[in-house]
Amino acid sequence: MINKTKNTILLIPVLLTAVIISSCEKNIDINLQPNQPQLVVEAYINNLFPQYNYVILSHSQDYYAPNFQSTPVANAIVTITEGSRNTAGNYVWDIASKLRLKETPVDSIPAEFSVGLYFDQRAYTDRPHALKGNIGKSYLLEISTEGKQYSAITSLIPTVPVDSITQGFSFVNNIGDTLYRITNHYKDPDTLGNTQLYFWRWSETRKNYGWGGFFKSRVPGTDDLANGEYIQLTHPQGFSRGDTINYYMASITRDVYNFWDSYNKAKDNNGSFSTPVVLNTNITGTDVTGCFSGYSLSTKSIIIK
Amino acid sequence: MFGINGMKTKNLLLLFLLCNICCSLSFAQQYQVTIHTGDAENNQLPDASISINQKKIKADSLGNAVILLKAGNYFFTVTSVNHYPFTANLFIKNDTTLFALLKMRQSLLGNVTVFSSRNVTRNQLGVQSINSTQLKKLPVILGEVDPLKTITLLPGIKSGGEASSGIYVRGGGPDQNLVLLDGIPVYNPNHLFGFFSIFNGDAVKNVEVIKGGIPAEYGGRLSSVIMIDTREGNKDSLKGVGGIGLISSRLSLEGPIIKGRSSFIISGRRTYIDQLAKAAAPKKVGGNGYYFYDINAKAGYTINKNNQLQFTFYTGTDKFSYNKPNDGRSRLFNTFWGNTLAGISWKQQISSKLQQQTSIVYDKFALDSRLGFNTISFIFTSGLEDRQIKSDWQLSSNNWLKIKCGIQYIWHQFTPGAGTVTSGVQEFKSKVTSQFAREAAAYFSTDINITPKLNIIAGVRYSYFNQVGPTTRVLYGSDGVPTGNTAIFLKGQSIAQYHYPEPRLSLLYKLPNSSSIKASYTRTIQYLHLATTSSATFPSDLWIPSSKLVKPAIAEQWGAGYFKNFDNNSYELSAEAYYKTMNHQIEFKPGAQLLLNQNLEGEMIFGSGKAYGIELFFQKKRGKLTGWIGYTLSRTERTFDQLNGGKPFIYRYDRVHDLSIVANYPLSKKWEASAVFVYGTGNALTMPTGRYTYNLGYDNAEGTVIFTNINQYGKINDYRLPAYHRLDIAFTYTPKPAAKKRFKNSWNFSIYNVYNRYNPYFIYLDANEDARTIQGKKVYLFPIVPAVTWNFSF
Repeated sequence: MINKTKNTILLIPVLLTAVIISSCEKNIDINLQPNQPQLVVEAYINNLFPQYNYVILSHSQDYYAPNFQSTPVANAIVTITEGSRNTAGNYVWDIASKLRLKETPVDSIPAEFSVGLYFDQRAYTDRPHALKGNIGKSYLLEISTEGKQYSAITSLIPTVPVDSITQGFSFVNNIGDTLYRITNHYKDPDTLGNTQLYFWRWSETRKNYGWGGFFKSRVPGTDDLANGEYIQLTHPQGFSRGDTINYYMASITRDVYNFWDSYNKAKDNNGSFSTPVVLNTNITGTDVTGCFSGYSLSTKSIIIK
Repeated sequence: MFGINGMKTKNLLLLFLLCNICCSLSFAQQYQVTIHTGDAENNQLPDASISINQKKIKADSLGNAVILLKAGNYFFTVTSVNHYPFTANLFIKNDTTLFALLKMRQSLLGNVTVFSSRNVTRNQLGVQSINSTQLKKLPVILGEVDPLKTITLLPGIKSGGEASSGIYVRGGGPDQNLVLLDGIPVYNPNHLFGFFSIFNGDAVKNVEVIKGGIPAEYGGRLSSVIMIDTREGNKDSLKGVGGIGLISSRLSLEGPIIKGRSSFIISGRRTYIDQLAKAAAPKKVGGNGYYFYDINAKAGYTINKNNQLQFTFYTGTDKFSYNKPNDGRSRLFNTFWGNTLAGISWKQQISSKLQQQTSIVYDKFALDSRLGFNTISFIFTSGLEDRQIKSDWQLSSNNWLKIKCGIQYIWHQFTPGAGTVTSGVQEFKSKVTSQFAREAAAYFSTDINITPKLNIIAGVRYSYFNQVGPTTRVLYGSDGVPTGNTAIFLKGQSIAQYHYPEPRLSLLYKLPNSSSIKASYTRTIQYLHLATTSSATFPSDLWIPSSKLVKPAIAEQWGAGYFKNFDNNSYELSAEAYYKTMNHQIEFKPGAQLLLNQNLEGEMIFGSGKAYGIELFFQKKRGKLTGWIGYTLSRTERTFDQLNGGKPFIYRYDRVHDLSIVANYPLSKKWEASAVFVYGTGNALTMPTGRYTYNLGYDNAEGTVIFTNINQYGKINDYRLPAYHRLDIAFTYTPKPAAKKRFKNSWNFSIYNVYNRYNPYFIYLDANEDARTIQGKKVYLFPIVPAVTWNFSF
């Protein structure tokens, strides 16, 4: 009893301070300035999955707009042209390769997702001949909508192969299950400035569609601090025994890395210690944001044992 | 720019010569009167005010003053804080020495505050001070006396917010204040992420802020000089002062080392929440906890009446530890940071006209953080180390001319954000090597009474900065991609070099009826920059030197003011206006990565700023009710090519209206009340104007669209937080105020934020993608907060 009273007395200043130091929150009305709408471009080209070479167009909206999703931009003219850089560093475009991407209803893509989604229909009907990125090539994206023109260029740089994926660094979670982490082993090229994004699918996300179906964050990496080293990168996420993980490593150009790095900072940007983050776009035009991302993918899979 | 400055310097030198010629013609046969001030405990009184037939002068740092007077009868009055006035009537007919021995008041916490009335006669624009007596009476959060928080009650000095010790003076940034503890620069004056400053109220004697018209002896920062002077120990007997507060306890001991000649004072403070928590719930607390401690020490040794040595030491550390391994994913965060300062100074009165002070100073700030989360571990260390020597000389050739000159040399060593990240077994180690720099300055300043009514203080400071090796730097291209090359600089090899003249000019013209007008021009240069992107000041913020890319910041400030005293100096009124321009201001790109960044300079953008405003100050210094009202009307802007389309934008800490009301009132012999009311325009913020979705996908299992909301922004700092205002009150209860016992005690009861105003710490928009709702949120820190502190002395 004495101990209990003593503890209670001792706890008073502790609790008082905790209450004082911990912040409180209230709902308030915040009146914002009118918004200048922007065209938002989410465009991808990769070397492995034709269904994942697409362009999504939308308009930004007022912060308090009732529709939670951006307004899709339909009926735009969207083309992709393949090319390469000559020895002088200039792009040379193969006009014959110019392909128009269209909004085409496809059974496997839900109607609510297909407006403003531009892709090569052959990705579903004739996959061998569908638009696919070629390593070493560059791609020109051109968009014409509402009387305005926009363009962007991205390149598929040489892939960095995934040597192996291993499991380890297991831990027991809150409900007593043992989960295993995966490690990506690869040799970073001896050239400085290589940048990657890392993706993986597992049982919970296997049926999802689109690059956003992997996860909301992007996991970017550079070799700025580990150039030419043999990299053994362990990801924090844990997986259950028996699960199959399909792992993809996308080698990307620096401008694409900068965009996704800024995206990571922008998506969780709130509070006192935040600063307004504007995405590092590689799209040219007025009132436009977004990125044309070229992914040079290498892949490996692992079944957790 | 250099040519214009050269012209200004030339004009100033011509002005000196003219002044000298004018003044040398106007004085006749005079006698030298030397005044030594002191008290019964052999303490010199360096702040003593001396009045001679209404003419006011101030004692020097050794408590001495020299004046030339014509033969005649003079009435002398000497006053000093915590002492009864000394008066004497003397007939001067030859050179005379006067020893003014002032009787001490009974208690250092006595309820009478003696203010000098030099605001009208002192040729110094934009200066304000608060003494320890005033500091201890004012209500403060959790009862912790905090000199840095308190000075933000003065006009023109703004706080960044409740959880920030960042101070913004006349539109300047938080790194633009030269914070000096007994003359030693302090780079990170914060405990607990800015909730409290490192200055222990028991150790502090006086705080003075110069926000405009900065004299030539100070430099290295653009906007202000904040001088925190600590108390000297009692030379006669051992004494102690202490207190037990809500979150910390403190104790100061002082006494003689050699009676009458040397003394010491040592003050310590520590928070004890961690210890209480461990005692109450040892298992739950485990290895988690936070505490800070600080120790101030000062020793003085009077070699003889003309020579004095003074040693100052400070060390303080914040330590935070968190460890939560219970769900299998270990999480730990251990960090400590702190300052260590040490300085020794020698004050010498070489002759009745010449004195010097030479100081050697060592100054270190260090941070060490270790973070572990899942398979990722993170080690981050940063720091700054200074070694400084300076010498200041003052010649008072007669009572119309005073010359000051001096030199200063600082050796800087920067350790900006070296660290390592590991992911599993993979290690990423940043190649950020230490950087070194030399900073030096010399100054010359004259204080001239051109006529009995007109005084000019004109000076010039010439500063020099040289970033030197050894250092190794990873080189990046303009696109932010490393080039694969490194630049290696050998030891002592010059990397970047700058030097600038810094003219300073102050004018005082005395008007009839205890009033005066003042004007000033100041040019200041800052070679060190604080790298921060947050609104709070964090220990992880990095100090970096000027380099080839990062140019020194330059500010020019013009000021003018009117000063008036009423009712035999019982009331003071002042109105000051200022206009300040700042070049080479640094901001970081939105979303910049500062920690472990080998290419920190690549994240910087450079611009300019300007600030202007009017400050009104009315103070009642005597009578039962004392206190002040301060009001500032101001505007602060920044312009950066890369921000806001290159158009000027409002600075985050622009505060159009800023009002402070401070009052003290003795209710009885035992009870004294004080109150503070503050009102300020809310900080400027950049809020989103729109949003869009990105990284789209489709969850076939759930049948839902996957997306992430991204904010779209318009103009920078185009939104204002609600106004900040609150009322604080405090009552001090002294049980036996007249008791002659050695042990005395008092209770301080305070209530912070009496009417429980929810002042926003920050606001944000919560767009909940799952619930499809958008709601504005306000986060506030301190509702109404009562506190009690028991103070004692023996």
